Amino acid sequence: MASRFRTDVWIDWCPGCGDFGIVAAMQKAFAELNIEPEKLAVVSGIGCSGKTPHFIYANGVHTLHGRGIAFATGIKLANPELTVVVSGGDGDLLGIGVAHFVALGRRNLDITVILHNNQVYGLTKGQASPTLKKGDKPKSLPAPNIQDPVNPIALAVSSGYTFVARGYAMWVDHLKELIKAAIAHRGSALVEVLQPCVTYNDLYTGDYYKDRLYKLEEEPGWDPVVRSPAELDEKAARAIVKSMEWGERIPVGVFFVNPLAETYEERIAKRNPGFSITPPARQPISRNGGEPIISKEEFRKLFSDYIIIVRG
Amino acid sequence: MEEALILIGGSQGSGIETSSLILSSALVRAGYGVLSNREYYSNIVGRHSYIHLRASSSQLPRSLTYPVDLVAALDAESVFFHFDDVRRGGFLVYDRDLSKTKLRGIISMEPESRARVEGKLKAIGAGEELGSLALALEGLGVRSIGLSYGSIISSFAEKLGIARAEAQRFRSSIVVGAAAGLLGLRQEALDYAIDRRFGRRPALSKANKLLTALVAEEVKSLVGSPLRLDEPSIGEEELLLVSGNDAVGMGKIVGGLRYQAYYPITPATDESVLHETYEALRVEGESLGSIVVLQTEDEIAAVNSAIGAALAGARASTSTSGPGFSLMVEGLGWAGMNETPLVITYYQRGGPSTGLPTRGSQSDLLFSLFASHGEFPRAVISSGDHLEAFYDAIWAFNIAEKYQVPVIHLLDKFLANMVTSMPLPDWSKIRIERGSTLFEANGSVKRFDKSSVVSPRPVIGSGAVIWYTGDEHNEWGHITEDPVNRLEMYEKRYRKLQLMDAEIPEEERAIYYSQGDEDFLLVGWGSTKGPALDALRELREEGLAGAFLQLKVFEPFPARLVSKVISSFKPDRVIAVEANIGAQAAKVVAMHTGHVIRKHALKWTGRPIYTMELVQAVKRLLAGSEREVMSYGK
Repeated sequence: MASRFRTDVWIDWCPGCGDFGIVAAMQKAFAELNIEPEKLAVVSGIGCSGKTPHFIYANGVHTLHGRGIAFATGIKLANPELTVVVSGGDGDLLGIGVAHFVALGRRNLDITVILHNNQVYGLTKGQASPTLKKGDKPKSLPAPNIQDPVNPIALAVSSGYTFVARGYAMWVDHLKELIKAAIAHRGSALVEVLQPCVTYNDLYTGDYYKDRLYKLEEEPGWDPVVRSPAELDEKAARAIVKSMEWGERIPVGVFFVNPLAETYEERIAKRNPGFSITPPARQPISRNGGEPIISKEEFRKLFSDYIIIVRG
Repeated sequence: MEEALILIGGSQGSGIETSSLILSSALVRAGYGVLSNREYYSNIVGRHSYIHLRASSSQLPRSLTYPVDLVAALDAESVFFHFDDVRRGGFLVYDRDLSKTKLRGIISMEPESRARVEGKLKAIGAGEELGSLALALEGLGVRSIGLSYGSIISSFAEKLGIARAEAQRFRSSIVVGAAAGLLGLRQEALDYAIDRRFGRRPALSKANKLLTALVAEEVKSLVGSPLRLDEPSIGEEELLLVSGNDAVGMGKIVGGLRYQAYYPITPATDESVLHETYEALRVEGESLGSIVVLQTEDEIAAVNSAIGAALAGARASTSTSGPGFSLMVEGLGWAGMNETPLVITYYQRGGPSTGLPTRGSQSDLLFSLFASHGEFPRAVISSGDHLEAFYDAIWAFNIAEKYQVPVIHLLDKFLANMVTSMPLPDWSKIRIERGSTLFEANGSVKRFDKSSVVSPRPVIGSGAVIWYTGDEHNEWGHITEDPVNRLEMYEKRYRKLQLMDAEIPEEERAIYYSQGDEDFLLVGWGSTKGPALDALRELREEGLAGAFLQLKVFEPFPARLVSKVISSFKPDRVIAVEANIGAQAAKVVAMHTGHVIRKHALKWTGRPIYTMELVQAVKRLLAGSEREVMSYGK
């Protein structure tokens, strides 16, 4: 039941905000995946989307502007048994926090990133976000935007994300399925969510998207999954080309899936096998009420390279 | 001799760090205490670097001083730089093949340094060629031992049956052999040290042993072993040979570190590399745990991912220096706001900005105390030497978890890079205290329950459901801007400072070294401890009895103890000793106690404070000077 993931905190987003659809899709996805709230961490940055964790009954970490992925990385590595989902805005993840966005892809750590893309910084009254196209002038801007946008899908694919999808905030059930697939995928996953900002963005509205969006899965012949290493380059390139499509037709759905890549957890476990047995955060570090788990004799053996036996 | 001071110079990348490690290991093996400092430029290959080493037969050395008994130079630049660092009656070992090398031919020397060296050469009547300088030094009572490094390499290559070009790789062992010969160090100790370094590569071991023995014999045949050390009387059966980075790294591991994030920066990174080396904690095939070591995309990710790991219950930390800490400051505030146990190990180097990236300073004390906006409690601990740094690394974790505060463990490049012979830590002094951290909990929990100053802290994954936010929050961790909640929650956090102050004994936060008969006081912190204590010993021999107050924890500050000690001296007999220009610790003392320390012995050249310059500075301060600026060292 999705209601299991609701809190009694009043949701203070603008009426009609796309964020409502995103939270609903997240709650439904968590419920349908039977995730325990106690084993789930929802991590956010700053901005309207930053408040998301407070509206979800699960461990919630509302962090700093752009840093959600960094916090999430520490949580996941300290306890890989947790499901970790980052919810962040376009300014948060692709502006101030873009270094972390890229780094997560490079690691292929098993974290799902949900990117709220409304092309504006809502909470500070509608300045251009990194996804707003050059020449666009939403009503909140005094003059047309003169910076080029970043393409979240193409950036994610080229950064190494192994699951890359785009949904639409108003198509909650479709978005829910994308989020479920992203969480079920092992490795770094991005779900970009197109989302109207009803207050500040009068260009990319519900009406704008209504007639343009189409589902990739309904396209004959579209197969985003890398089924052998030989397919990797071609599937990645096709996803990037597809992500450039923005005009009369705008695709949503799964752009790219590479189930073949090693996750960061697997890479660590290869050289540090204890990591996969007990999560670092759950390992005992003391015994007998306060003695360090490493005895003096074990210390001597561990650091024997540093010890000199004196023969004066 | 009771002790020997040695300086080994060579260009960066020429192997002097290995040479120093071998020489130090050999000395420790033979029963001596060793302390060495490495000075180097921000450069990979080609610029001047040197090791300054003190070996003692009677104690584990805690400071360095000049002049030295021996300068052993791998290149001409080292001779030009350091010829005036040798005492009268001391020795210079240099490469005779370079006798015609002129100062102006040394392009790696910075123009400011070259101009100064030119002046010094003129002053002693030396020409600008190395040979002429060696000759002039003889006139000043320094014995110049010119060896032909080329001939040594040739005969070594011949004996070993390798090509001359290959033999050049071992060139840095010439200075090890020369020092060993002059010190009369026994070959077994040297061989042990070489095996320790190259044990897994027997061919290298064999070559190094041969070359060092060859040079030692040649030097002995020329001058004997005039720097022979007394029979050692230190009495340790085993010693660790560690840098400050190593000591902290080991301390953290014993303290239960499970997550270390870092972005490469001098002089902090060696600590994280040690963690990476030992991440599997494998002892005789068995793993005692696992540490996740993450090299992040920047320091912002380092600190924030460490906070994330701490929320999940791992003992988590990051290590950095000034520029990195500058980037971490926002995360520090989040940790404070969310009562998160986070340890930041902060190795100060010369600032501002990139400053002196490979040189030391104590210029970030105030920054570490006040960094980040808003008000929240933190702990700031500084360590006076390697062994303290080991224990303090564990202490930092304990304080962080007991009081749920960010802890800054403040060190500096001096300590980070100095290598010392350190006794094995006393295990009875080590405790792991995790406070009210909960690994098992159930359902909704008020993470910031106001009924106690330190609320029980279920970790994420414990079975609890909890919320965190950088916004002001209620007991559940949800955002609220309610003024009454603000009043109470803000103070709940802030009161942890009082709690720490009440619970952590002041005697552990400030250490008073006194025999009860002193009439002046040095006040110092961090790596000034060693030089201060050694300077006081020398001054006492000259009839000037001074005490030392080591400030160790700056937050919570031990105000009552510090006030009591300082007020027992006349105001004009209290001297702050610091490696900065602003006498920052003195400002903190004034802030907490009202006592204004007016006399300052300061140094900000990026080089360590040496005992002899501190002795001179203290004498002048006691004679009436208000401020003494120390500047010795290349």
